[in-house]
Amino acid sequence: MLEPINVSLASLNVTTLAPMLIAIIGALTILCIDLIKGGLHKSLYVMISLLFLLVDLGVVVDFGNVFIENGPVTGMFDMMLIDGLAIMGQVIIVGGSMLFIPLALTSKRFHEYNYPEYFALFLFMIAGFQFMVATDNLILIFVGLETASLALYALIALHNRSKSFEAAVKYFTMGALAAGFFAFGSMILYAITGSIEINQIGSVLAADHYANIGYVLVAVSFMLAAFGFKLSMVPFHTWTPDVYEGSSAALAGYMSIVPKIAGFIVAMRLFEFLVHSGVVWLQVILYITVVVTMTASNIWAMVQTDVKRMLAYSSISHAGFVMAAILIGTTQANTALFLYWALFSFTNLGAFAMLWVSRQKNLLAGQSSDHPFEKFSGLIKTMPMAAIMMGLFMLSLAGIPPFGLFWGKIYIIASAVTGGYTVLALIMALNSALAAYYYLKLIVFMFMKEPVVGYEKFYLVNASLSLKTIIGIAAIGTIFAVVAVNPLLKIITLFVYNSGY
Amino acid sequence: MQEHILSILIFFPALAAMLGFIVHKDSARAYGITVAAIEFLLSLWLWNIYDPMTSGMQFMEKAPLVAAFGINYLVGIDGISLFIIVLSTFFTMIGIASLTETRRVKDLIITLLFLEMTMVGVFAALDAIVFYVFWELSLIPMLYIIGAWGGPLRIYASVKFFLYTFTGSLVMLVGMLFMAYFYYQATGQWSFSLLEWYRLILPLNFQLWLFAAFFIGFAIKVPMFPFHTWLPYAHGQAPTIGSVILAAILLKMGTYAFVRFSLPLFPDASVFFMFPIATLAIIMIVYTAMVAYAQEDIKQVVAYSSVSHMGVIVLGTFALNVEGISGSIFLMIAHGVVSGALFLLVGVIYDRRHTKLMSEFGGLASVMPRYATIFGIMMMASVGLPLTINFVGEFLSLLGFYKQSHSFTLVAGTAIIVGAIYMLSAYKKMFFGNVTKEENKNLKDVNRTELIALVPLVIITIWLGVYPKPILEPISNSVESIVQLMHDKAQTPEAQARIPNLSNPVAKNSQQETY
Repeated sequence: MLEPINVSLASLNVTTLAPMLIAIIGALTILCIDLIKGGLHKSLYVMISLLFLLVDLGVVVDFGNVFIENGPVTGMFDMMLIDGLAIMGQVIIVGGSMLFIPLALTSKRFHEYNYPEYFALFLFMIAGFQFMVATDNLILIFVGLETASLALYALIALHNRSKSFEAAVKYFTMGALAAGFFAFGSMILYAITGSIEINQIGSVLAADHYANIGYVLVAVSFMLAAFGFKLSMVPFHTWTPDVYEGSSAALAGYMSIVPKIAGFIVAMRLFEFLVHSGVVWLQVILYITVVVTMTASNIWAMVQTDVKRMLAYSSISHAGFVMAAILIGTTQANTALFLYWALFSFTNLGAFAMLWVSRQKNLLAGQSSDHPFEKFSGLIKTMPMAAIMMGLFMLSLAGIPPFGLFWGKIYIIASAVTGGYTVLALIMALNSALAAYYYLKLIVFMFMKEPVVGYEKFYLVNASLSLKTIIGIAAIGTIFAVVAVNPLLKIITLFVYNSGY
Repeated sequence: MQEHILSILIFFPALAAMLGFIVHKDSARAYGITVAAIEFLLSLWLWNIYDPMTSGMQFMEKAPLVAAFGINYLVGIDGISLFIIVLSTFFTMIGIASLTETRRVKDLIITLLFLEMTMVGVFAALDAIVFYVFWELSLIPMLYIIGAWGGPLRIYASVKFFLYTFTGSLVMLVGMLFMAYFYYQATGQWSFSLLEWYRLILPLNFQLWLFAAFFIGFAIKVPMFPFHTWLPYAHGQAPTIGSVILAAILLKMGTYAFVRFSLPLFPDASVFFMFPIATLAIIMIVYTAMVAYAQEDIKQVVAYSSVSHMGVIVLGTFALNVEGISGSIFLMIAHGVVSGALFLLVGVIYDRRHTKLMSEFGGLASVMPRYATIFGIMMMASVGLPLTINFVGEFLSLLGFYKQSHSFTLVAGTAIIVGAIYMLSAYKKMFFGNVTKEENKNLKDVNRTELIALVPLVIITIWLGVYPKPILEPISNSVESIVQLMHDKAQTPEAQARIPNLSNPVAKNSQQETY
């Protein structure tokens, strides 16, 4: 007969699960509503999702207050770890999702939004990402990652075009490969340290002075490959442009922000102690990955003929830029990562939303893709406000001051300077100049060329009030970022520093 | 109001530009002229209440922007920036007043007003990041002006202009971040305030690297040889108003930044690089003068001559003494007035004939006597005839450099005189001889709108050429304090010897104390 397990409920600290549970309950609620009465309008589901996300955000912010007073909270046998990174990660995840989900309220009908499952999957996915960031247990990270990814594959495929199926299958295959790498990496780490918790792995490795360095390097290689896929680092980036092209513009924008911040937080947890342990090989590999990712994707972006693919490459380049913060590994660099991503999410969401409002159902004769540059030609003459908005987002992405991303950019470059990475700082700065070229290309098309006949009927065809509101919010966040930078910087530094990164 | 005059000057045009979206397009021009005139009057008022006897910063304003990272909204002016600000507002006003563009005037005027904000902002900023913000922002309106209203190659020209300057300024940005980091290491606090940076004394090898980083940013803007290749395209394709603002104001940002950043921050490096830069400047004077002689397009002649004279400004700046720097700042104003006027004049003939080729003209002096007169005066000023505005600046710049090196000055001086050849030959081709083309026989002389823009420029050219004191005095007061600061910071024996000690204790510390 088995011994009864005695665990006091208090020691479990079940409240640490609250944010994810709220998202899951939200998803189940949507499914139940559908069971009771089908065929309801999508606006209902959007609002329910928004409502649950709002509560979710509230709980996360509440954890933030607790964190400032008492430090990190653990729960469920130390599986859950709510520290500063977890809280900020969740704020960005939930906040980004809240900006994304109203994009479903298009004025045209789209296939995927007729299914309540779309919204349920969406909330499950958020719960997955939240699990991923709120733990340093490799198994829970894996479970969170897979939950979120599987939901995301389905969301992509629901767009119901042949390219969407292709994208979903491609993403699924690559994702499965990445999951395999992740599992292998975790396995080796467990084999040499006997633990699956990142901080314990770190302390065990430090205690025996990296005696098994060969195994560590193998494990790290697997992990790098896994994150290379998830964060779309060169040379594991090949799926990104195709998947972005196949998904709806709104979902592509979402994919460039939320899954990546979750990935960055795990990467930060994992690579931070490795970078600081003086494993030179890892530093060199990371350095090369960062530089190649930034530079190569910028060059590829220049030759794209489709705006969405250009933005896909640009988001790879931004991810490389931010990965530099993990390489530098100082508190300032980690702060910069969050600052950058918070500002980036506004701008990039705005840019993709601008594509989303001009989504056309059928391609014109001779049109090769959804959003060729010619589509936006002479937009300033036909739709001045839309052109100015899109121009604004492009300038911000290019890092032109005083728009949002500039402040993130200088803070990351400054952290490279203080971290002693002079050459990297210069490379990062010059990459911004490379990037300026392709952002400028769209501006040139919009402001300096004549309109191309045939496309004008697609501009803002999807623009309902809520989409315009989202774009407005993104624009305000981009223009007035300078006001938010100081408070953001203070809070993020506090959170990052107190989490020990 | 007096203590916020700089913020008003910076943001009034931007605010007006925003409201300008609502103004009906037929009234946009009147609106633009009104706003620019108010702005100009405000800047004149600033000049009026400016105290010419104080050498330090005046009308300073400070507000925290990103306090945790040491970025503040910090603006202030001294004798150096005051007149360039007045010049900017003046040129925006006459630029809009003399506008002959008919395509999408409203957009153009809104863009010009935004551009005005960035121009005033650059010259008033005392925080490196604020400076950088305006510096970069000034690219966008210019990009749009060249790209949307320019000639057939406008897109190539505008993108080239943007990418060149943007790349340079990114290197400069890294330099700024390093500077702030060194300040952080020295004091434990982040700061981007120029005035606080002035107190920082860096070892020579740091100075050399940082000087190089800033130099790339500034040199592309000036544009110094061999970074000048974007300018002929930009001028060649830009509409008249774009060329006028570009030549008169935007290029001055680079030379102004030399005086504001490079010299006082890195005195040893400035001395170290003095002769290499002087060599570049002389190459720039000689080479672009030769290229100008070979041009067939009158606008290109003016563009290259404008680059050539920018070389004299750089030479004067790197004389590193009061005469040289004051002279170069005076020459910045003079060059603004003269080359701005020349581009306006080219615009006048282009509006009538839609060509800029000199071979299409000839004998215009008999058809358009008033035009020929004004063009003649401006051309004489451009070649540096005594009693015109350029002469004062060029003379002082050369005098300043004469104290550092006789041979360099001799070469530069000769080059300037030789430079007269291409201007005179261009004038001869256009205005003298017989009227060979049928189309030229009935050309109308300059009309009232054009005269409104041109006559004030002629007056300024001659007035300041004869009596430069009201401008020169405040300039040299402020320059003295910079030179003294440089001397006090200089560490290498060569730098201490090259930079004169003015040993005027009042001027010496006023820069720091006013802060």
